[in-house]
Amino acid sequence: MLVLDRVQRSFGSVEAVRGVSFSVERGAMFGLLGPNGAGKTTIMRMILGIFVPDGGTITWNGSPIDLATRRRFGYLPEERGLYGKMKVRDHIVYFGRLHGLEATEAGRRADLWMATLDIERYAQRACSELSKGNQQKVQLACAVLHEPDLLVLDEPFSGLDPVNAEMMLNCMRALAARGTTLVLSSHQMFQIENACTAFCIIGAGEVRARGTLAELRREFPTRTVRVAPDLPAIRAAFAARGAAEPVAAADGEIAFELPAATDFGSLLREAVAAGPLESFDRQEPTLNEIYVRALGALAAAR
Amino acid sequence: MNEIGIVFTAEILRRLRSRIFWIATLGGVLAIAFIVTAPTIFVGFARSSSSDVILAGPPALRDRAKALMTAKREYRVVATLDALPSHVTIKFLEEHGDAGAAIAISERNGALHLDVYPRDISAFDDVEFRELVPLNIELATGIAPARIQKAATIGRTLHALDAKFSDSRVAALAHGIAFGLIFILYLAIILASQSVMAAVAEEKTSRIAEILVSTIEPANLLVGKTLAAAAVALVQIALWLATAALILPHVAASLSNSNSAANAAASGASANDPTAILAVDPWVLIAFVVFFILGYLQYATVYAAAASLISRTEDMASVTTPVILPVVGAFFVAQFALIAPTSPLVVACSFVPFVSPFVMFTRIAISTVPLWQIGLAVGIDALTVAACFWAAGRIYRVGMLLYGQLPSPKQIFAALRA
Repeated sequence: MLVLDRVQRSFGSVEAVRGVSFSVERGAMFGLLGPNGAGKTTIMRMILGIFVPDGGTITWNGSPIDLATRRRFGYLPEERGLYGKMKVRDHIVYFGRLHGLEATEAGRRADLWMATLDIERYAQRACSELSKGNQQKVQLACAVLHEPDLLVLDEPFSGLDPVNAEMMLNCMRALAARGTTLVLSSHQMFQIENACTAFCIIGAGEVRARGTLAELRREFPTRTVRVAPDLPAIRAAFAARGAAEPVAAADGEIAFELPAATDFGSLLREAVAAGPLESFDRQEPTLNEIYVRALGALAAAR
Repeated sequence: MNEIGIVFTAEILRRLRSRIFWIATLGGVLAIAFIVTAPTIFVGFARSSSSDVILAGPPALRDRAKALMTAKREYRVVATLDALPSHVTIKFLEEHGDAGAAIAISERNGALHLDVYPRDISAFDDVEFRELVPLNIELATGIAPARIQKAATIGRTLHALDAKFSDSRVAALAHGIAFGLIFILYLAIILASQSVMAAVAEEKTSRIAEILVSTIEPANLLVGKTLAAAAVALVQIALWLATAALILPHVAASLSNSNSAANAAASGASANDPTAILAVDPWVLIAFVVFFILGYLQYATVYAAAASLISRTEDMASVTTPVILPVVGAFFVAQFALIAPTSPLVVACSFVPFVSPFVMFTRIAISTVPLWQIGLAVGIDALTVAACFWAAGRIYRVGMLLYGQLPSPKQIFAALRA
């Protein structure tokens, strides 16, 4: 299990990370969210030992992270870096060897991963000759060849088309199923919402929200209910429950925002009684809504 | 295999598979071949313009002059004539053995007189034909040239103060070889160090550094890279020296067979023994390898640390200049050491880090250096290498993750203290 406890890091006078704490269970996919400059990459670099925290502790399975532990980690950084003139297979094998694999085993696994990621035909091509998406696959193969205990992925979907993004996601799920713990950051909310089991939203170096999606939703103060048709009696029923002015949707539905503690069962009965109700859809907040609200509060506080 | 070994192997393979490496290596072989054979080429040109002559005049006078002129192989008489045409042309020279000059020899008022028609007048500006002096005296006094020559020759014996060299030819040869080796040392150190610098800059600018630093100890990465570049550079140097060793005997033989003994002596080769060119003291070669490794490791680590500070390849020039000056300075001190290997300044410089590899090697190549001084220099250089690795490792670790502006001296100092 990965545990960060009140971790801090400054660069000169800038406090990049301020008392960040969270934990990630083995085999979990953990989403680290936040706007650009929030401190996500710095947190990831501290987990990987690239930066040393100024304060707080980071432990893996209860112990501080040393070089031997780090060698069991994998890392896909946001900035893609490859040796341009090195052949794809050699590149993957080299990084496997740096993580402690024997040459033969590294070669065998490189062949398997190239097949999985559909880049085996580029095995003898120089890395610089590959497209951005395929270079990213090479980097992923480099990061996972040694079957890491912890895989840190910084913006793994950036620059990938939908098909390759799905392929990347499937690989991550397969790794998690095998017991690899994943920490990833992304701005692709839909993908990360589907992929991750827990989240931490970072803003200005601080934790703004954290937990599983269910936990984050529980803390969300409102719910959206979409109803049709738009009738005065239905509007009145919702207004009586404290709903704000509804927003009209293009398909004729109207969307009300209500306090999360609302008794939606009795509201449904009242709506049915108010008119010929065609649809009543209570929607859970999306990760994007939770994210925007968490960071919106931060912006308001500023 | 440990991580240094993995980085070392991968770096060697990367370099050996690089087209640039082979272009540089083969280019170096061609350059060495040209430099080594250049004396033969220049002697060949010089011979056709000034050493090959047509000799014209009365047969008795002409034959005695020819004997004196060719005795020391200063000249080759390509044609003899009783008289030159009234108008000597280049075409005439070309038709008579492609000579560099036509010389009409005659006796005027009891003295020798020469009318010289050179192809290149500047080549004969300072030529006094002193080998014909005995003939001139004979015409004036009637004494036989053999007696005059005997009287003009003073016996002498050279006594070398440094027991390292038995005679002046060997000393001249050692200086020539020392100069060549210092030049190769300079070239190899600067090229290999810059190749490490380029490799580090590539990792920094392409952001591979971030993954590498999270996986292995930055100091081990630095050691693996610098040792690999040293090994590859040694292969290059071996190829260059082998090229020189293969060609030099042929060049020496060619020069010794030429008519120009003076040119042969200038090349540092023994005119009588062409294989003398290969008689390099094996200890000099061992010293060359030892001081190459020590010098290279000092400079390469500094270059690597400097490269780790840049964020873009365009910034390379700004960090290259300060680190290239010491190696150029050391090369110049080594040139001074060639002239005055025992001067106090040179002896002192042979113990100064970064300068020592050049200067101590030069002293070893051309003089007898006490063993304790060699040991002390090697010790100082080895300690300097260790200090360089320590400091460079720390700067490298911090520098590889710094992007944006070049770090200030304060930040670099903080990295060293971290």
